Amino acid sequence: MNRRAPLVLAVGLTAVLALAGCSSGSSASASNSASAQGGSSERPQLSVSGAYMPEPVSDLAAGFVVITNKGGTPDKLTSVTGDLSDDITIHKTENQKMMEVTSFDIPAGGKLDLERGGSHIMFMDLKHRPRQGEKVRIELHFEKTDPITVELPVKETTYNPAQQ
Amino acid sequence: MRKKTLTSAAALATTAVLALTACGSGDDPAKPLAEVSVQQTAKAATVLDQPFKKPDLVLKDTKGQSYDFRERTKGKPTLIYFGYTNCPDVCPLTMSNIAIARKSLPKADQDKLQVVFVTTDPERDTSAELAKWLPSAGDPSFIGLTGDFATIQAGARQIGIGIDPATKEKDGSVVSMHGAQVIAFSPKTDAGYLLYGEDTTADDYAKDLPKIIRGETP
Repeated sequence: MNRRAPLVLAVGLTAVLALAGCSSGSSASASNSASAQGGSSERPQLSVSGAYMPEPVSDLAAGFVVITNKGGTPDKLTSVTGDLSDDITIHKTENQKMMEVTSFDIPAGGKLDLERGGSHIMFMDLKHRPRQGEKVRIELHFEKTDPITVELPVKETTYNPAQQ
Repeated sequence: MRKKTLTSAAALATTAVLALTACGSGDDPAKPLAEVSVQQTAKAATVLDQPFKKPDLVLKDTKGQSYDFRERTKGKPTLIYFGYTNCPDVCPLTMSNIAIARKSLPKADQDKLQVVFVTTDPERDTSAELAKWLPSAGDPSFIGLTGDFATIQAGARQIGIGIDPATKEKDGSVVSMHGAQVIAFSPKTDAGYLLYGEDTTADDYAKDLPKIIRGETP
């Protein structure tokens, strides 16, 4: 499927490691207390792969990532921030209708798959329109895990890894 | 030999076909190319047993002028799609795929093909908005239509596409929807005879458009 997965995954893991030191997250206490008692499987272990943004055609854009949770505890993607837009939301698509959601579940031992035609990160009022080849840096925020920084490579408008 | 299309398997099989044609085209056909021909029976298009009559849609184009869909596309190969410009994913994907496929056609065929985008969110998608968005999402030749939502909804329903009006959420955000399919109309019969789902790639369209332009079944 996606041959670049290990690389991006590595980036994601690095981000986790880099961020694990600083306890900026306000919701970190829950997972901290859980991990204090049990082993590493007691808490979510997130990694990010397959990140991209199709080149936008207007001042709004969509972003896609796959978040894998190898841990024994579920987590939630609660918000996304980034420099490209001050208005970044998460959306699901059901019956050709796109709706904002407050969070996406990331099941224990499972994954959250944002993909074309389905759930996505939505960027409104872009500060500039990124072109193919650029990278868009975002920060993913979770209920339990510390934020993870991800770079979305900008691909062609029609890019869809599910069909490659 | 044309078999019945399985839409769900089409995308997957098409990928397989593309992967296989690369190595199969020039080689000596001694090896198991039989499997390739099996793959080729799954296609992007769903052929309708009962084709749709063209919808009665009289709306405004990107210049704000009246556009009668039946009259203007009569005898022309036509694709129609219902979507909205505040759509970050599927609508630009669909328009862009068709635009890429169209560019692969000979110039004369490009000129014949009518690609019509009808907004499902006419309140926000004015003629001016469509004029701005369509060339970027698709191609300057694409026709953008807006107007009264009830007219748009009724037109969509005539070709089996259900759309709900845009609704405003409590937080002020607007929920709109796009149609599930692109419908192709034959220049010979003026009937809507093919359906394409949102999984259809630019390559799928590129393969089928020459046939649509001749009114043939891909």
